[in-house]
Amino acid sequence: MSKIAKIPLILLGIALGFFVVTFTVYIFNLDMKATSLIAPLLEKWYDHLEHKQYL
Amino acid sequence: MRDLKHLQYFEDLLQQANNALIAQAKADGKVCVAYTCENVPEPLLNLDRAVSIRLTAPNTGSIDIATYYMTNLLCEPSRALLERAVEGGFSFADCVITPDGCTMMNRAVENMELLQTMGKDNPHFFHEYMEIAFKNTENDVRLAVLQCTNHILKPLHENYGIDVSDAAIRKAVEDHNRLCRLIHAIGDFRKEAKPRITGYEFHVLTLASYVCPKYLILDKLEETLEELKTREPDERNYRARVLLVGSEVDDSGFVKLIEECGAFVCCDRFCFGSYPGRTEIVLNDEEDALTQVCRHYIQNCQCPRMMSMDKVYGRKQYVADLAKAYGADGIIYQQVKFCDPWAYERTLGSSMLQHDFGYPVLSVDRPYNIASAGGQMRTRVQAFVESIEIKKIQGGGKA
Amino acid sequence: MKTVEKVVNPVKRAGEQSPGKIFTDRLKVRSRREWRGVKDTFYDYTRWLYLMSVLGRFIIVPRNIKGFFRYRWMMSYLFVPHGMDKFTIGLRDEALRIAHTSFNFVIADVTKAIGNCFRGDRRVGNDKAYSDKCVITDENSMVTFMMGFDTDKVHTILREVPTMFASNIFHQFNVMHYLDVAQLNGIPGDVCPMPEAEAGISIDDDFCVLGSCAVQNNTTCDGSLMGNGIIAKRLEREYGIPTFQLATPLRHKEPDVMDYAAEEIKKAIAFVEEHTGEKWDWDVYFAAAKRVNYATKCRIAQMEINSTPYPQFFGAAFSLYNDTNYMGNSGRMPEFVNVDKKLLELAERGYKAKRMYAKEYRHRAIVWGVQPQYVIDMLYWLVQCWGVVPLTDMLSVINTDMIAEEDTPENREQAYRDMAMLNMEMIMRNHTHGGYKVLLDDLWELCEKMNADMVMMWEHMSCKALTGMHGMFEEQARERGIHIMWVSHDLCDPRVFTRQAIREQVNKYMRTVMREEPLDPSLEDLPDSEAW
Repeated sequence: MSKIAKIPLILLGIALGFFVVTFTVYIFNLDMKATSLIAPLLEKWYDHLEHKQYL
Repeated sequence: MRDLKHLQYFEDLLQQANNALIAQAKADGKVCVAYTCENVPEPLLNLDRAVSIRLTAPNTGSIDIATYYMTNLLCEPSRALLERAVEGGFSFADCVITPDGCTMMNRAVENMELLQTMGKDNPHFFHEYMEIAFKNTENDVRLAVLQCTNHILKPLHENYGIDVSDAAIRKAVEDHNRLCRLIHAIGDFRKEAKPRITGYEFHVLTLASYVCPKYLILDKLEETLEELKTREPDERNYRARVLLVGSEVDDSGFVKLIEECGAFVCCDRFCFGSYPGRTEIVLNDEEDALTQVCRHYIQNCQCPRMMSMDKVYGRKQYVADLAKAYGADGIIYQQVKFCDPWAYERTLGSSMLQHDFGYPVLSVDRPYNIASAGGQMRTRVQAFVESIEIKKIQGGGKA
Repeated sequence: MKTVEKVVNPVKRAGEQSPGKIFTDRLKVRSRREWRGVKDTFYDYTRWLYLMSVLGRFIIVPRNIKGFFRYRWMMSYLFVPHGMDKFTIGLRDEALRIAHTSFNFVIADVTKAIGNCFRGDRRVGNDKAYSDKCVITDENSMVTFMMGFDTDKVHTILREVPTMFASNIFHQFNVMHYLDVAQLNGIPGDVCPMPEAEAGISIDDDFCVLGSCAVQNNTTCDGSLMGNGIIAKRLEREYGIPTFQLATPLRHKEPDVMDYAAEEIKKAIAFVEEHTGEKWDWDVYFAAAKRVNYATKCRIAQMEINSTPYPQFFGAAFSLYNDTNYMGNSGRMPEFVNVDKKLLELAERGYKAKRMYAKEYRHRAIVWGVQPQYVIDMLYWLVQCWGVVPLTDMLSVINTDMIAEEDTPENREQAYRDMAMLNMEMIMRNHTHGGYKVLLDDLWELCEKMNADMVMMWEHMSCKALTGMHGMFEEQARERGIHIMWVSHDLCDPRVFTRQAIREQVNKYMRTVMREEPLDPSLEDLPDSEAW
């Protein structure tokens, strides 16, 4: 198979790979599950910031 | 000090909303104009045969019915007024004029209207609601003039034939000023190092001037002023002079409680107080009286509902100026619970008076009827008085 | 009591039948996303991809990263995909597309707003030239006074929307910190938590600082008016940003307040001109006025569809889209026109196909009062769990009058009055203020017009304007034979009423008063009170 003929297949493969990965993340809610692990660390970060509280 | 000759008389008048003088005024053929807020220009409610009565609910106990209608989340004064209205305590009113100032008081009166608590046998009875000014501008003066015309003058004239002419307004202002001069002449004795009137006594007199027909108390106020001129003050010193600031105080027991803790309430800046409600209205002959009255009320208004920043800053300056004039050692910023406007005003005011003007400040909320939480309040005030004393000992006082 | 005819959905819902099963108490999120059948799951997936791309494009800008780590409220936007899932629970077909079309647009708009805030923010982007052309406005405020300013030249920054309003929708606990700050500094806990949280953000110095000036408004309540003073003081005295207080009369149905309100609009415009150096353009204004009218026509059409047995566009997406379009946009941005058009097309298509949100509609409800920010998906839950279809909510019952849209000398004067009218009748205050008739009588008229047998009454504990009429609602509903279901909450403080505590009030009412069983028992008790 010529290189040019392979390009659509490669693109299709990339698209399929992208779909499989992102759809897995989507359907199993992995994005939000990961975020739930990060959130407590972020809260600590915001807690340590010093703000000038003033009326 | 010897008791003031008419103090008991005035105290008795404050025991119920429908007091003896109201009955007398009705017998005199007067039209009783009930109102609920200091933003209504009082002289306009005292034109011709009309007499203004600011609604209060003294000795409030249970407010269950009002709580059903308005829940327990609204401020107690608004619920107490509705309860009293449902009980028939305001049956003397020939009309009710309410500004849409604070939401809760407005809702209280709307409930009164919907429940037909007043005026059932009076075909001329009416409820009127007014928009009130937000800022100190000429646009606001025009708004106030229009609102007073449409919601005070027209209905009073159309329903009761009240004379609402410029001359009548000027006459009402003259009467109003006479009362204001009297109240302030009496109040000025509070400036003395050894004051010959207590804050409590002064509050009783001032409060009576809101809830009684004025023409029926003037003579006794004049007598009281004469009596004060020769009254011997107590030898004892008060532990601290405090300026009482905040939302409406129509319960003299609150002032009494503060003074029982050793403080002297040297000045009052609240609804039902002498500042700003008993400030003279100066009229000129060039402009119509109605516009001038409205402008006076807008310029002198200290209600937190006024939203422009000149008013926001000005209110704190006004308090600081009073504190200076009356020699206050500290300031008590108070609000009735659930009062939204004063919740914010108290917070900002107590912060600014402390940090920008250097006064010790006690910032508290309180129930409508102080008797229901007297112990807690007493503790707070006592601690405040002691903190002022400590500051004085340390050579401070005003920070 | 009044009854309505039950409407049964002849079509079985594709995919998941019990979406309640995907909730879990082990995590702050659902165990997986809802399976909606192949077609709708794929659609939902593509919209998820779109949202991720919006968020991705936002965060690759360096100043946005800086802003993210500076401002606590930014954390909420990590949970946008979860927020979107809340809006689409159980939805299929046109309903799903309506929710995505409207809310995806709102999210994109909010993202743009945050980007704009960071661009001008003295601490983050510090683009002074841009900041000098920015005008800060309140969150709950109409921006009609900006309708005649070219959006490329003067930028309206609704600073409080991304900071408090939207962030609270995505993360129920996020404003608690600001409420605590406000209360630690002396503001009592019994005031409305929304303006209190905004004041808390200002006290905590967690607002972006930008703009040549700010325009504040006495929007919805005493608390909102009073919170402005605290925010303005810091703007003026610490940051040197002048503020203008745009006074908006409360008794908006009275003709004798109109001149005052119109004059205030004029003054606000003059203030903006003075501080931005840009001039009011009548061509720009009347183009915006046409778009306002188009949005009004679309909204009226949507309400008409909702009056039929097959309502299509309701719930949080409807009210939040209206909020954004009516108040935050006020005709200024042309992009809304296409969205309005698309939403109406979807709703008409759904109506023709007799699409339903649930297995059956047992009751038709008007939702009155103020919805809680942290249970924003409640109305979708209501229809699917109990078959109570929320025909409209109070916040979406807004102006239906057309404003002048042709540029004539008379209309230029009329324009100030139109802007004033819109301003006075901004969302929420058009019913909570202006006398009891707009709160009580309007509700009963709406029940009649939309054939509702039930009112779901949000009782926001700190909303004194609403709770002040509690007894009257009870009595008048009884007289009219309308079921009134009280649901208490505290707007944006989930510590007072958790999500399940809010739903439980409905569950109890439906079981004990209506003596009914849920349509979908999996939804009756959801372990999401700790979730975002």
